Amino acid sequence: MKTIAALLIKQCKDSLHNLPSLMILIIYPAVAFIMSTAMQGEEKMGDIFIPMFAAMHCSFAPLVISSNILSEEKEKGTLRSLVMAGVSRIQYLVSLFIFVLIAVMLTGSAFLLMKPVTSFYAEAFAAAMLLGSAVSAVIGMCIGLYSKNVTAANGIAVPVGLVFALLPMLGQFNSSLSKAAEFTYSGQLRTVFEGGGFTTQTWLVSVAYLAALSFLLVILFRRKRLE
Amino acid sequence: MTDNSVIRLHEVKRSFGEKQVLKGVSFEVNKGEIFGLLGPSGAGKTTIINILTGQLSCGGCAEIFGVSCGKIGREVYRRTGAVLDNCGLYERLTCADNLKLHARIHRVDFSRIQEALTQVGLEGCEGKKVKALSKGMKQRLALARAILHSPELLFLDEPTSGLDPATAAEIHLLMNSLRGSGTTIFLTTHNMDEAYRMCDRIALLSEGNIAECGEPAELCRKYCSNSELSIVTNDEQKLSLENTPENAEAIAALIRDSKLKSIHSSEPDLGTVFLRLTGKELDK
Repeated sequence: MKTIAALLIKQCKDSLHNLPSLMILIIYPAVAFIMSTAMQGEEKMGDIFIPMFAAMHCSFAPLVISSNILSEEKEKGTLRSLVMAGVSRIQYLVSLFIFVLIAVMLTGSAFLLMKPVTSFYAEAFAAAMLLGSAVSAVIGMCIGLYSKNVTAANGIAVPVGLVFALLPMLGQFNSSLSKAAEFTYSGQLRTVFEGGGFTTQTWLVSVAYLAALSFLLVILFRRKRLE
Repeated sequence: MTDNSVIRLHEVKRSFGEKQVLKGVSFEVNKGEIFGLLGPSGAGKTTIINILTGQLSCGGCAEIFGVSCGKIGREVYRRTGAVLDNCGLYERLTCADNLKLHARIHRVDFSRIQEALTQVGLEGCEGKKVKALSKGMKQRLALARAILHSPELLFLDEPTSGLDPATAAEIHLLMNSLRGSGTTIFLTTHNMDEAYRMCDRIALLSEGNIAECGEPAELCRKYCSNSELSIVTNDEQKLSLENTPENAEAIAALIRDSKLKSIHSSEPDLGTVFLRLTGKELDK
């Protein structure tokens, strides 16, 4: 636990000096705030931005940040120095996962401050944000494990992140995309952010994603071992 | 493995795809010595460090502190430190933050950070960000990180590569001081002058095999095929005489007549030894 805590402290300090990562963490809450404030007078418009950007936030930010951090540590040799200091690869991945969840949950909580909410909605919102962040972080870690450097990782993570982030929104304008979005965890979680609550389908799709991606992560970890 | 040995490699083999990089490497490193592994770039020096630090698997037997390198755990890592070709420092963090991370991992008191920085000549740099440091300072910071937990064994992978002579000399001084305090140092380099001056023993690695292993001076003498003696007389005359019984009287006469200013045997340097053994130049 002490090693994981040491890695978390390091990651917090490092991220505070990493402007691109900070931008990714605050961009969706900031845009949601600006848009909902600007559209406050318009009927119904003010309410659509928060669920939409919350779904984008929990799909895009954890995915890109986790792949970025992992691939950068591999590329710069810092991960190797950690391993040679006795940090196990599992400890490293656990600390990265925890850090990404904390960072996304903290910045994501800003969405709840933008409008009056019930405690029931806040709990469902937090659970959806946590679940979405967990799935996205696992995808990002898979990409980080697979990629040799930051450029390669971003080349995969950004388009993948955009697909999961934008598909639920684009589904509003096209019925085919809307059906496709139903099979994505971000599409399912968006209904929770809209106040629809967790349905069986939401749980099934999200947990299926989490299980399948965790399995993929284990396979990649065994093959690549963070090398 | 003798009681005194810290590292033992026996018939170690390693391939990358079709290419066999190590073809049966064997040597031992004794406690408290500076052991140099010399070889040209791509000879497999870093591969051996990676095997010894548990980063790569291998065939044969590789042990560190009596533990098989494939089974190295936290206990062994706590007894070792490493400065690798890539410093592996967090560029956005300060020097102190980089060391604090490793102090936390090794459960070392933070007061040791200041000591380590002073040891490598980086006192006053605690608050500086790593990205603002020069290459030499980064190398010294990596060394501070490696010695932070006072390891018994230190791996130095070309620690002075690309550094100016003054910084390299400072690192050599520190290596000597660490040896004085009982730390075993495993040094890889292709700088033969550095190896000759710093190492107690060296191994010459060529095409995946150890071509020769021993004390640097001893190796130079062993491969001294040239038996020529260089003589300078008091009147600055330079003579080259074969070291043969026939020339003994001529040399004795110079000594008798007090005409001899200096006499040297012409032993080859390590680079020449390596060239003779392998047909390759060391620093290429």
